[in-house]
Amino acid sequence: MFSTPRLPPRTVLPTFLRLSDAFTSETARTTTTWTRRNIPDQVLAIPKPLEKLSRLPFNLANQRTASHFTSRDRMNSNPPLLGCKRSNGLTESVQRHAVSMWTSGRKTDWQKALSDAEKVVGYPTSFMSLRYLLSDELSNVAMHLRKLVGTKHPILKTARGFVYDGNNSMQTRGLLVLLVSKAAGPGGEWEEEEEEEEEEESNGRTMVSGIYRSQRSLAEITEMIHTAYLMHRGVVNLEEVTSADGTVGDMSFGNKMAVLSGDFLLANACTGLAQLRNTKVVEIVSSAIADMMEGSFLLEQDNQGVTFLPDKDWRIKDWTDHTFLCSGSLIAKSCQAAMMLAGHMMDVQKKAYNYGKHMALAHRLHADLLPFSDSSDPNMPFALTSAPLVLHMEHAGRAAVTDKITQVSDKSMKVDYKQLRLEVLSGPAVHAAKELCYDHAQRALAAVTVFQESEAKSALENMTRAVTRF
Amino acid sequence: LQVPGRLFSGPGRLSDCGGYQGNICRPLLQLNTTTHIRSICTSSLCSSQKSSLDPVTPSDPFQLVSTEMSTLYDDIKKELTTYGSVLRYMSHYYFDGQGKAFRPMVVLLMSRACNFHNGAAENSLALSSQRRISMIAEMIHTASLVHDDVIDEADTRRGKACVSNLHGQRKAILTGDYILTISSMALAAIGNKDVVILLSQVIEDLVRGEFMQLGTKEDEDERFAHYLKKTFKKTASLLAYSCRAVAVLSGSSKDVQEVAYQYGKNLGIAFQLVDDMLDFMSTEELMGKPTAADLKLGLATAPVLFAAEKYPELNAMIMRRFSEPGDVELAREAVTKTDSLQQSRILAEQYCREAVRQIQQLAPSPEREALVTLTQKVLNRKK
Repeated sequence: MFSTPRLPPRTVLPTFLRLSDAFTSETARTTTTWTRRNIPDQVLAIPKPLEKLSRLPFNLANQRTASHFTSRDRMNSNPPLLGCKRSNGLTESVQRHAVSMWTSGRKTDWQKALSDAEKVVGYPTSFMSLRYLLSDELSNVAMHLRKLVGTKHPILKTARGFVYDGNNSMQTRGLLVLLVSKAAGPGGEWEEEEEEEEEEESNGRTMVSGIYRSQRSLAEITEMIHTAYLMHRGVVNLEEVTSADGTVGDMSFGNKMAVLSGDFLLANACTGLAQLRNTKVVEIVSSAIADMMEGSFLLEQDNQGVTFLPDKDWRIKDWTDHTFLCSGSLIAKSCQAAMMLAGHMMDVQKKAYNYGKHMALAHRLHADLLPFSDSSDPNMPFALTSAPLVLHMEHAGRAAVTDKITQVSDKSMKVDYKQLRLEVLSGPAVHAAKELCYDHAQRALAAVTVFQESEAKSALENMTRAVTRF
Repeated sequence: LQVPGRLFSGPGRLSDCGGYQGNICRPLLQLNTTTHIRSICTSSLCSSQKSSLDPVTPSDPFQLVSTEMSTLYDDIKKELTTYGSVLRYMSHYYFDGQGKAFRPMVVLLMSRACNFHNGAAENSLALSSQRRISMIAEMIHTASLVHDDVIDEADTRRGKACVSNLHGQRKAILTGDYILTISSMALAAIGNKDVVILLSQVIEDLVRGEFMQLGTKEDEDERFAHYLKKTFKKTASLLAYSCRAVAVLSGSSKDVQEVAYQYGKNLGIAFQLVDDMLDFMSTEELMGKPTAADLKLGLATAPVLFAAEKYPELNAMIMRRFSEPGDVELAREAVTKTDSLQQSRILAEQYCREAVRQIQQLAPSPEREALVTLTQKVLNRKK
């Protein structure tokens, strides 16, 4: 059976990934006043250079990339100028100039990276779900969903995400698969029985703007799987339904719709995978779905998707395993499968896998850190199993967190998010989480060094960097 | 014999219910000519005949494949190995050996019948890849049961509490997904692209069948065709395509593959027709699930559709999915008053006869006879 390694325990960065002397001296200038211990809490919330590790250039093999990073720090310490376009300048001076005028704000960075990436792969990724969204089956479900308006069934939120997604992160999985495909380029020789293949198969081997048709299908399949997973995770337990959610009848009907639409997407993913005519790809992508299911059994959540604190000690290693199972695995394995489809060798497959894995983890850390840097709403809820909290518990003990939680009943609790946020901000957890985010981003960047310079490769790098900006 | 005329309104009507252009209508029109199978035997189909046409002693279907069946549930549980104790418990829940394991049995018999037809020694066991298919068929079936129970808000299944009542609906759905995914991995591991495509079609059909159940056709004439199409997708597709898959793995010609497919399809539709009849006939204890369950879910099955021929007032109830008080009782009464159960049975018999006609194109073997016997067992089952 085909197997891919589970996430290795976090280790010290290999030397080649660490800061070179040249860069230390250059970046040291901007950081002299900031050391790890003397940063006031509120400073953590705004984009400022934080500490040495946060400015590690990610890729020393590539001078351009590295200079890009120093420039970012300058940019961060400068007041932002709105309305300036980002330039992918080639020389350092050009880049510094451009970046110094670069608009700050993390959403913009991420959205910019996404829209640039979309151009590279040839079309807006929201098209990726268009085909199945327009199917009779899902239109039918959409019609039925009107009955649920006013209830708190999670399927409404998922459905809304199709139309508008504030974080623009709905379809990044497919986008990453396409980018990795394009960055890797045409692969080696095709496996077996080339002569007697029929029309469909040769279509799969046609390249459109540097991406095989089969890889585009795979990107679509990856999105379908993820959406199906969201749908099915949004099934509510009828026993726990409260009057605030809606009637049991409505919630049960919502479940029916969630199950059917998720099943529909999974079934389409299944047939789509089969048509790729590569059993190894079917196997590895299926194993990613199995990972997601296993992952969702690790933690308990309520009907609105709020995760409970696990009973046992939950350490950052557990967080990493859980996050890998729930979201990293699908991206990593889809990226690897895209390499298989192009006929790339194992070493390239592994790199693509690593890119996907570490990118997913860095992205998750970025999202987990958002509530700790955005001070607009002090009572804004955040996940009790998010990385900063887990790290804080490792540092200050579990009680430091559980003190702020009142268990109302077996399946519900009250959390003082304001106090809990201050508690976490008072310790080193936010730092540690950022460190971890940089660490994963570096590993992701290290993985793409296997590809030759290209627009697609830069787009992959830019997306990775975007998730390390706080 | 009073069967709705529209069933026979032209060729291709019933063949709508399958992905393949089968010749399902023909036997329905010439009901009593199925014995002269040899005459239509093409050379490729009969080339590997070894035995004479001496009648083989009727064999117990289950006994024949008991060796392969003995490890079925253990093999499935081995696939569903996970560290999560809740997921393991839930995904193993229905593989407790209490099920009928009807699908694996058919698949294994078909495997051996095809293998023998293709030149394998008499009584040789099914290939390991074919045994995997029988296991996968049971897993797909179970995964769909788990989801159906949440959709139908069922309480009991096979005489015990539904898995959705153990740890909530969310986990039940994810468990179903997990079983399905593991079966998909096991399928891919066989390494045959065509077989992967065949069985992924089943998964699509299962979902489309479920969607078809959501709606009712307004046109009364289309309703029966809609019902049969739904029945194919929800029940027969799994048997049809897994039979075809084991025929492929046996190295069969296209003709033999088609025979396997047609057998599975016809047997599957007959199986469901009987199931729908039993829903009106049995008592709760016997079935392990509540009776008239279909009506309560708003579903109009064959007996009701036949009854509506005599009682047109049922049509309005069918359209509103028996949602008003008294609808279910009235529909039940209409079914018992008419000979609609008898009509359903006759229809099921026709499908069985066609299944027999198909399978008799294979070389005679104990397995082939067992598959013939099986059609009678399907017709006469009480639960």
